[in-house]
Amino acid sequence: MSVELVAPGCEVLNLSPLVIENVKDYFHVHTYGGLTRFFEGLRASRLLGTRCTNRACEEHRIWLPPRAYCPDCLRPMEWVEAPQRGEIFTHTTVEYPGSNFKLSTPCPLISVSLEGVCTKMMSYLKDGRPEIGMKIRAWFRTENPTHTILDLAWVPA
Amino acid sequence: MITFGEGNLRIPRFGKPVYIVAGGMTDFRKTYPEKATEELAAEALNMASLENDLKVSMPEFKRLVNFCVYSQFADHFGDQLLAAARVHDALGFDPLGNFEVKTGGATGGHAVLAGAMAVASGYADVVPVVGWERMDEVSTRQGNSYIASAACKNFESELGWMYASYYALMAQRYLYENQVPRETLAKITVKNHRYACSSPFSQNPMKLTEQEVLENKMVSDPLSFLECCLMSTGAAALVLADEAMAFKLTDRPVRLAAICSGTHTLRTADRRPMAVLRLPHEPENLYRDRKWDWPGFSAFLATRMAAYLAYQMAGIGNPLEELDLLETHDAFTISDIQTYEDIGLRPYGRGREFIESGEAYLGGKLPTNLSGGLLGAMHAVGATGIFQIVEVLWQLQDKWAKFHADPKMWERFGKVMPGDIENLQVPNARRGAAISHAGTGSHVTMAILERA
Ligand SMILES: [Zn+2]
Repeated sequence: MSVELVAPGCEVLNLSPLVIENVKDYFHVHTYGGLTRFFEGLRASRLLGTRCTNRACEEHRIWLPPRAYCPDCLRPMEWVEAPQRGEIFTHTTVEYPGSNFKLSTPCPLISVSLEGVCTKMMSYLKDGRPEIGMKIRAWFRTENPTHTILDLAWVPA
Repeated sequence: MITFGEGNLRIPRFGKPVYIVAGGMTDFRKTYPEKATEELAAEALNMASLENDLKVSMPEFKRLVNFCVYSQFADHFGDQLLAAARVHDALGFDPLGNFEVKTGGATGGHAVLAGAMAVASGYADVVPVVGWERMDEVSTRQGNSYIASAACKNFESELGWMYASYYALMAQRYLYENQVPRETLAKITVKNHRYACSSPFSQNPMKLTEQEVLENKMVSDPLSFLECCLMSTGAAALVLADEAMAFKLTDRPVRLAAICSGTHTLRTADRRPMAVLRLPHEPENLYRDRKWDWPGFSAFLATRMAAYLAYQMAGIGNPLEELDLLETHDAFTISDIQTYEDIGLRPYGRGREFIESGEAYLGGKLPTNLSGGLLGAMHAVGATGIFQIVEVLWQLQDKWAKFHADPKMWERFGKVMPGDIENLQVPNARRGAAISHAGTGSHVTMAILERA
């Protein structure tokens, strides 16, 4: 019996000090769990948040990003439609993203203020130049969805 | 949490006093192929045990240790899970107990907090805390992507894979709410790069002009490249001890008067408005007419929480008057101004005055980031919070020159000591603070050190 090398070896990048390539060739899966409805909603042009059902809880506004459990009272939340019109709370323009970024650059990132929502979710402005206070409306990537948060964007209202 | 319950704001106490007896570090580099991770850790601990005038030999020191704490931010970077086990083995501490702490960018600060808890409780009496990061085995773009995996994977990471952009959202809002000239922001990075020139440990010493910063390319507006921290490889170490062991080990221990932790939501998006948590020296009506939500995107509740606890734990009434030096987590220029406000050097909205007034410079009221900081010296994430505390320790021991202005120290790292090196020793420094900070303010510690 003799053992042979059956996978490619490592490329040498520098001889001394020795530095070799450490190639990765695999993928992870990603699990959305109880947030599945939010991502399903995007494919149907619906913007779904969650709201605490506990009458005794201090927070009755919508959470967006949604959460399965209310962080204030830890009771399960219910799904509700969030407004699809709002305004830009703040913005920046991504010029040099990290690896794996799936959108073209420059890409304006925005934080979105929505009436009745207690959070200011991060998203991107698909068209136009962002300004604080600018009125915007939701846009959904219903064709060729990525099944990620990139399926939600905003455009000038 | 937007209202505090009884118990939430309890001021932490140590069961017995905690001291820092020694510190050490490697130099910091963009790439460091000459040394493996555990070799970097060994060098940092070697400097701590051999070059801090300890009254015991290295073998004697090792026989006194009874627990270790390790600090590494991301397994992704070194591609070695349980790197702490490899380092602990390399340092020859088996079979002593140890654990590794992970709180993002604030990992170093929390590792020191964990070590302090061990000493304060009596669980251990000599505890090395060693941190490192090996950020040179992936491209900068991949590195940014790994760091952004510390943001919310469902709702944020995909939006840029870039923490600078997440900070830029806060920065843009801060500038909208509080008009700060770009020249003021430039001053911060000019200052820290300049101080980095007087440290043999620095990765990126530069004599910049404000104009060069103003003309620098944007990474993500309003942050330019020169306003963003480094990515480094290197290690730092310090040794904690209780009172009896501290004085057995050294004639000049420094007391860790406080180290306190605060947190806030991982996503900046989820920060709901609340009443300003006032620091002890802020008058009751200071924020009565405040126009903007707090903390919003322009303040870090985690930093404010850590400072609120640390000042009271250390008995500090007014930080600007009672601290002699400060190390902030200057990951970005604007976040540094936010931090000045969070720790009460100026009221909210007026942080710019701390740098504009000259107080943040050597010779000013509270010299800040004389180490060169994350902008000029290093950000080897797991080492950073420890590096900051070591720099404060040496200042309080009056040993800045020993570690920074000795030509042999520069030669050790293949450098020549500059002829125009500045003497950055703070005269008669008695008390210093260091802030370790993660995410867009998800975890923060504030440590306060005091000459014993
Ligand atoms: Zn609730």
